Amino acid sequence: MVNDRIGVYICHCGGNISDVVDVYKVVEAVKDMPEVAVAREYMFMCSDPGQKLIEDDIKNYNLNGVVVASCSPHLHELTFRGAVQRGGLNPYLFEQINIREHSAWVHKHEPEAATEKAIRLVRSGIAKVSLARELSTIRVDMEPKVLVVGAGIAGIRAALDLAKADVEVYLVEKQPFIGGRVAQGYGAYPSGRMGSEIIKELIEELKKEESKIKLFTNAEIKSLGGTIGKFHVVVQVNPRYVVGNCSNFNDAIEKCPIEVPDEFNYGLTKRKAIYYPYEGAYPELPVIDMENCNKCGECVKICGGAINLEQEAETVEFDVSTIVLATGFNPYEPKEGEFGYKQFEGVITLPVFERLMALSNGKLTYNGKEVKEIAFIYCVGSREKDGEHEYCSRYCCTATLNASLAALEKYNDLRIYHIYRDIRAYGKYERYYEEAGKKGELFLRYVPEEPPVVEKEGDKLIVKVKDQLTFGEEIELPVDMVVLSVGMEPRNEDVFQMLRVPFSRDGFLQEIHPKIRPVETAIGGVLICGTCQAPRDTVETTASASAVAAKTETYTLKGYTELEPFIAEVDAEKCTGCGDCVPECPTEAIELKEVAGGEKKAFINEVLCIGCGACGGICPEEAINLRGYRYDQLRKMIDAMVEEV
Amino acid sequence: MAEENFKPKILIFAAEMAYRAADMAGLTKSEYPSTTYIVRIPCASLLRPELILYAFQKGFDGVFVASSGPDCPFMGEKCVDKTAKRVEKAYELLKEHGIEGERLVLSGVCSTCVETIVGKTEELEKTLEELGPIKKS
Amino acid sequence: MVEKYDALVIGGGVAGMESALVLADAGYKVLLVEKSPSIGGKMAELSKVFPTTDCAGCIISPKIAATSKHPNIKMMTYSEVKEIYKEDEGKFKVKVLKRPRYIDEDACIGCQRCEYACPVLVPDEYNYGLVARKAAYIYFAMASPRIAQIDLDNCILCGRCERVCPTEAVNFLQQPEELEFEVKAVILATGFKPFDAALKTEYGYGKYPNVIHALEMERLLAPSRPYNAVLRPSDGKIPDKVAWVLCVGSRDKSLGNPICSRVCCMYSAKQAILFSAAQLLADLTVYYMDIRAFGKGFEEFYNMAEDMGIRFVKGKVAKIEETENNNLIVRVENFETGEIEEEEYDMVVLAIGLLANSDVIKVFKNVNVELDPYGFINQFDVNANPVLTNVKGVFVAGCASGPKDIPDSIVEAGAAAAQCIDYLYELGYKISKVETAEPEGVVSGK
Repeated sequence: MVNDRIGVYICHCGGNISDVVDVYKVVEAVKDMPEVAVAREYMFMCSDPGQKLIEDDIKNYNLNGVVVASCSPHLHELTFRGAVQRGGLNPYLFEQINIREHSAWVHKHEPEAATEKAIRLVRSGIAKVSLARELSTIRVDMEPKVLVVGAGIAGIRAALDLAKADVEVYLVEKQPFIGGRVAQGYGAYPSGRMGSEIIKELIEELKKEESKIKLFTNAEIKSLGGTIGKFHVVVQVNPRYVVGNCSNFNDAIEKCPIEVPDEFNYGLTKRKAIYYPYEGAYPELPVIDMENCNKCGECVKICGGAINLEQEAETVEFDVSTIVLATGFNPYEPKEGEFGYKQFEGVITLPVFERLMALSNGKLTYNGKEVKEIAFIYCVGSREKDGEHEYCSRYCCTATLNASLAALEKYNDLRIYHIYRDIRAYGKYERYYEEAGKKGELFLRYVPEEPPVVEKEGDKLIVKVKDQLTFGEEIELPVDMVVLSVGMEPRNEDVFQMLRVPFSRDGFLQEIHPKIRPVETAIGGVLICGTCQAPRDTVETTASASAVAAKTETYTLKGYTELEPFIAEVDAEKCTGCGDCVPECPTEAIELKEVAGGEKKAFINEVLCIGCGACGGICPEEAINLRGYRYDQLRKMIDAMVEEV
Repeated sequence: MAEENFKPKILIFAAEMAYRAADMAGLTKSEYPSTTYIVRIPCASLLRPELILYAFQKGFDGVFVASSGPDCPFMGEKCVDKTAKRVEKAYELLKEHGIEGERLVLSGVCSTCVETIVGKTEELEKTLEELGPIKKS
Repeated sequence: MVEKYDALVIGGGVAGMESALVLADAGYKVLLVEKSPSIGGKMAELSKVFPTTDCAGCIISPKIAATSKHPNIKMMTYSEVKEIYKEDEGKFKVKVLKRPRYIDEDACIGCQRCEYACPVLVPDEYNYGLVARKAAYIYFAMASPRIAQIDLDNCILCGRCERVCPTEAVNFLQQPEELEFEVKAVILATGFKPFDAALKTEYGYGKYPNVIHALEMERLLAPSRPYNAVLRPSDGKIPDKVAWVLCVGSRDKSLGNPICSRVCCMYSAKQAILFSAAQLLADLTVYYMDIRAFGKGFEEFYNMAEDMGIRFVKGKVAKIEETENNNLIVRVENFETGEIEEEEYDMVVLAIGLLANSDVIKVFKNVNVELDPYGFINQFDVNANPVLTNVKGVFVAGCASGPKDIPDSIVEAGAAAAQCIDYLYELGYKISKVETAEPEGVVSGK
């Protein structure tokens, strides 16, 4: 059967297409094709009236197929399918042809060639739809069960929001304690509250939802399989070696003979092998760092059964319907010698400076020396036009101003210099910039071609900067400390590979579209929030975490979602039962079954089939077709494309 | 030898990620030869060698199989092998039919690999200009 | 009987639509109230949007379509929330004033015949007065609902519209209606007010015809633009030397707005890029204090603008003066050279800032929604839960709580919906799956 009453719609995209492609000519070239009932051009096909045009034509012309030539189907395929469906036609008797990204925008200097190409592409779309068949979506049940990876502020926020709407949450954190980088920070802007306090409050809320949030700390995701609606998760919970409660943990910690640099404080202090990172850390049980523990048993003597030095890792398995990635960022680690980093004492990064402030009361001291003069150097590991990190890390300007103001308030007689490129204290954060100026902090501006140079002279660090604000004057600042305002770097977690989530050019995870679907990824049921997606501050991070919860709830509260019907289908008449397709399937969705007469035929499990079409590619008889991409359709598309224009 | 005004027709089978790269080529306003035609497929492992041959027989001067490479959302790295097998078989078919193997290229294209999709297409165009038009069967 | 909804969303811009859509998709009934004749908000006025340069219409029109078609959303346009009483947690009494369009909304089919027939021409506010509209008109091409209205202030009561209307929808006797509703929660998504460029008197907006503001430039660059080209207002000439002046009404204490508006750097770079794409040889300059290209893909976008030859000059524009032929002399203190420079341009675009639009708090009669020092709705728990206001059950999204760009507004709108759902759950208003698990128009296959 051939669909021979097809409506064809060529979108101007408000000039995006029609400035290059002659849309009228395209209409002319296809309107008399035998399969075409009506062909039109329109300013914005995706607009309400544009969609209405399709709906009305379906009724008026009794259409049995629709082709829209416009932007990428990744933007508007769903939009148009909706219009086709409202018009009363099966939404899969529709094809969107991309003449914007694939023609107008890439051939803008060759309007004639772009037009010819558009004609051929539209004809191929008509060819495809002429052989299209009605399809229906596959409904997938969505149990209210969600995996949240990472328990920093984003993961906690998302878990809380989900739990409050009766969703069962598995919250998995790699570290032995939750709270992430916010707990580690000093004052958070713009509330001015201590990061650890913000986290503590969230933890109190978390405790109230204990029945719905299953928290695994010290835990790694070992494997992740499946698809939206049913992901199978295997988590390895590494031993904490502290297995119960004890009122004397503090004594046990004191008695522990091992001292190692405390990573929570970036090595500024030492901790024991049994430890809490900070007061109020959660879970409330300390952890034993077995890499450094010598099993002397001092802690066991005090806490007895609460400690089990022979505890082993456990494996937990469960199924969830969606996955939220909230895995966060890494602060950029400057290279040795970059602005004197690791070369001169007193050159540290901003996160270290924040810990230093948290630890230094009365006087600001570093390695026993009082710090009076500080230079902050901005954009370290950010805005490198031809370098590793072209992007701006967004939070560092305000975070640096915020830290400098906090330092000024906490310690007497500090002298502070900001050596910056542009102060990006955007929105209401402007007030930090203004206040720093008012408080007498000095600003010097550098350009990337002539970055500041850090040298050592006696016990002072000398920062040499060609200050743009004094029109290039060479200024030398003798200071006690140089703080490098480092950017955010993307992390690369094993789960990203397991799920095959795509990355943006900057290396962070990529959303489907920043404005249309900002928290979803190309992988169905995998959502992202916080700084694994892009550099952000806490305000933007928690907002995105809540947005992820909302998106997830649109599935779980409803109880189902619908999947594309593009799955493989076997033509039993052609199938010889050779079995070549069985090992070819990545999801083991094909089985050979005996049919009446003793013959064997391939059978496809519709729920397991993910629609790659590999089985069709290997079949010696062309007995398997992928719905929506059948070989007869592809051949007819080829025929249509080579035909003269 | 290259003929005057010969603009080779290239068919690009673009799998999920490669299709996105082609979209991004548009977004970043890159340019590449205009006689290239993209057919969207979910995964390159779907391609039957006979279909590739069919494209040549119908008059395409070149075919570029732009797979998702190891970024394939369906099967990850396994895609590389599976697709390579299809294309290898296609080369054999081309040989049998007296079609130069250079007319067919395969490359994994990640979703942001604008340079790959543009670069490979331009390279193929150059090769085809050298080879001249395909003889129609 | 008073109609009941789970949530009231005030404001039908991109944030309000997103909040309403998420709540509706999750199964809640939403009342969406929009002041202007169509939903879509400021984004519907824009040309293309940074940093993807997608056309704004392409992004927003499907959201407009989805909002207006959603079975769980009741949309009231050309309407205003007048009063809200919080009677209890989960119980807000709401009065909405529905202004008359003088058109029967159910009868109008949006054919525009009244518009063609109307003899009155008045400046079109959607296009910032750059062109005229009729007194009987549809707000803009993509408007939803696509219903005409009659602007009675300018109507001459000639009756032509009434005569041509095929559905007898014109009704000059229509009266404002006050409707009452009960809702369980409220989301404030009232957006921003653009800074009035005329207040920056040194720049001569309103006095010199070729000094325009950025939203006017958006209309001139938009695909649905009035003249299909960027023309300067004084003589209709295509300008080939254009300057953008940043921070107009932002970061400026003397004008009462000390904060930064977050979007002006990027939209100016975008406008320059769009302009330059059409006018390859145009000489384009952006005068800035700091370039704040901070979001995902923004710095890369700014770099692209520089690579395209757009000049970015760090400097403060002190004054703009007009020459005899309506060109403009921009007097600028160049921070890089320390010189006072003067340069002549064909046209100057003022990058106006985003101001608070918080009048909505006045409709709350027995609770007090707090504002921040800049007049935006205060974010009560800004770090941990940025969409909460000080009133339980009242949430805020988008520019109502501070200037922000479209992606940030959309994300916040989702967040507000999440907090709203949690609030409803806390009160026991849970979504029952049995009720909503009906397949919504699932198409049967063969």
